[in-house]
Amino acid sequence: MAEIVSLLYQFGTNAAFLLLAALGLIVILGMMNIINLAHGEFMMLGAYAASAAVHRGLPFPLAVLLSAVAVGVFGIVLERLVVRHFYGRELGALVVTWGISLILSQGTLIAFGPFMAPIAIPGGALTVGVYSFSTYWLFLMAICVVLLAGLGWLYKATEFGLQARATMQNAAMARALGIRVERVYMITFGLGSALAGLSGALLAPTTSIAPFMGQQFVAPAFITVVVGGGASVIGGAIGSSSLLSLVETPVSFLMGSFWGSIALLVTALVLIRILPNGVSSLRLRRRTRGARG
Amino acid sequence: MPQKRRPNPLRAAFTGPHDIGRTPPGWALMGLILLGFLLYPATASAFSATNVAYYLLNIPMALGLSLLWGYGGILSFGQVAFFAVAGYVYGVVAGNMTADPTLGSILGILAGLGAAGLLALIFGYFIFYARVAAWIVPILTLVLALLLSTFLGLTAGSAWKVGDVALGGYNGMNIPSLQIGNFIFQDYAFYYLTVATVVLCFIGLRIRVNSHRGQVLIALREDPLRTELLGYDVRLEQLVAFVIAAVLSGISGLLYVTWGNYITPSVTSLAQASLPVIWVAVGGRDSLFAVMILTFLLNQLTYVLSSAGNQYALIITGVLLVAVMLFAPEGLIPRLIELGRKALRLKEAT
Repeated sequence: MAEIVSLLYQFGTNAAFLLLAALGLIVILGMMNIINLAHGEFMMLGAYAASAAVHRGLPFPLAVLLSAVAVGVFGIVLERLVVRHFYGRELGALVVTWGISLILSQGTLIAFGPFMAPIAIPGGALTVGVYSFSTYWLFLMAICVVLLAGLGWLYKATEFGLQARATMQNAAMARALGIRVERVYMITFGLGSALAGLSGALLAPTTSIAPFMGQQFVAPAFITVVVGGGASVIGGAIGSSSLLSLVETPVSFLMGSFWGSIALLVTALVLIRILPNGVSSLRLRRRTRGARG
Repeated sequence: MPQKRRPNPLRAAFTGPHDIGRTPPGWALMGLILLGFLLYPATASAFSATNVAYYLLNIPMALGLSLLWGYGGILSFGQVAFFAVAGYVYGVVAGNMTADPTLGSILGILAGLGAAGLLALIFGYFIFYARVAAWIVPILTLVLALLLSTFLGLTAGSAWKVGDVALGGYNGMNIPSLQIGNFIFQDYAFYYLTVATVVLCFIGLRIRVNSHRGQVLIALREDPLRTELLGYDVRLEQLVAFVIAAVLSGISGLLYVTWGNYITPSVTSLAQASLPVIWVAVGGRDSLFAVMILTFLLNQLTYVLSSAGNQYALIITGVLLVAVMLFAPEGLIPRLIELGRKALRLKEAT
């Protein structure tokens, strides 16, 4: 019994980590077809903002919200200045956001030095049998569910969501119908950045806060995105993060975390060989087939 | 089917349409630059010749990425992975054969380049035969480079010993120089070896991009579907270009390890992985000549900046990259040439 709970907990932690690391990236990619390679650095900025706020005496939840807003605003500024010139040029956007990530990480190193004061993990531990679990990770899993539900609501039930989905399907037609496509892109990029900042702040207590900490999120976040595919933002995120952690959990449990990440890469390679458009295409394919038959 | 007129490959290298510098003034400029590099050691110490060799040795990797990205439209962020694989494999093979250094060097070169090519073949098969979207290739190659760096960092300790050679984790690995008979490639000899390698890679690629296969590569950059409908196997063409680029990265890796006799996992870190992309993007990705010149200049710049202890080197290259992508997306040198032409035309008009 305790073993099963422990494995479930491991699985949940891995899935929550993958999901949090990838969420902002997935929103921007799915809606705008832009890959933000500075995503890891946005998370780093979120962690820095949270740490600075906590050590100025702010309560942790408020610090997290504050960092999400700050990184979101930063993202909007960056979108206006740089990113908007690269719509429709996927590879150009990749390269330019990479340049931004270099500037951000090295700039942080120069401005704040190699380390930032860590944040203690909030919450205590739960004990089941011989195992004990951090309540903070359980809280993060709950946050993931809330975030996904919130995004689902935003895109399925609001006016903005309708406009965003129309823009995603056909930007020219959406513009012709009077949707302000530029503004949709700006808000989406800001939202994606805010999510990155939020995730960075939420994960900050679980890791050491340093200028190059963004790098540790790069590989898992991008693998999650690649496996998820762009067809359905939320479905892809849920599908790929749970699928990947299903593979990663036993491998890192048995062989260590490095082999866990190797398993991630190999799984991604095999999966895209079978499903080039990602996990989310499965659902889509079934839906279209149903419509036809 | 009518017999196609096949151009003389060497002639194609100098007059083919797919690079700048195909007119007599262009050849004269290239000749002058080469002459300058050939005469340089006469005026320089062995130390500065070795430094200049360092600025040159990354050029094959950059040219490979130019072929892949500028001509083929396939962006890879993981060229340093092949660089590292070739370097490490050379080190293991040559390091185990110190009794016969000539054979060790030759086998090391073959094994190093073979390993880089094989890794590209396997990895490329999964990517290109899956026909993934264009943005997935750079991401997966980047992940490959990062995981390789992590893996090599874990290889500290006596468990990671291949024959007599310890991989050494983050402490790095010592590597013997290239040696043929009693002749060791060091100082001036290494400098000339590097210059010759760069010239061969450049001419070889100029022939390649101006050949039939090069046309196909450019065609699939412009429109993969149309190329496929003309009867070409797009997946195979992409895979071949990917393997060529990986082997060229491997050549740079071999030059690097025999230059410094040393390699660490940091050669495939995120910061290093960004460098080839920066050289190629800033230079002008669809011009081999521009990439070659800019790679040399940027290597010199970062080396001078970072050896002066300047921590702004990464920021400067990052700003340069963002600025070039914003204001001269076709690259710095093509933009300068275009501006120069415009100025000349203006002068003639007035």
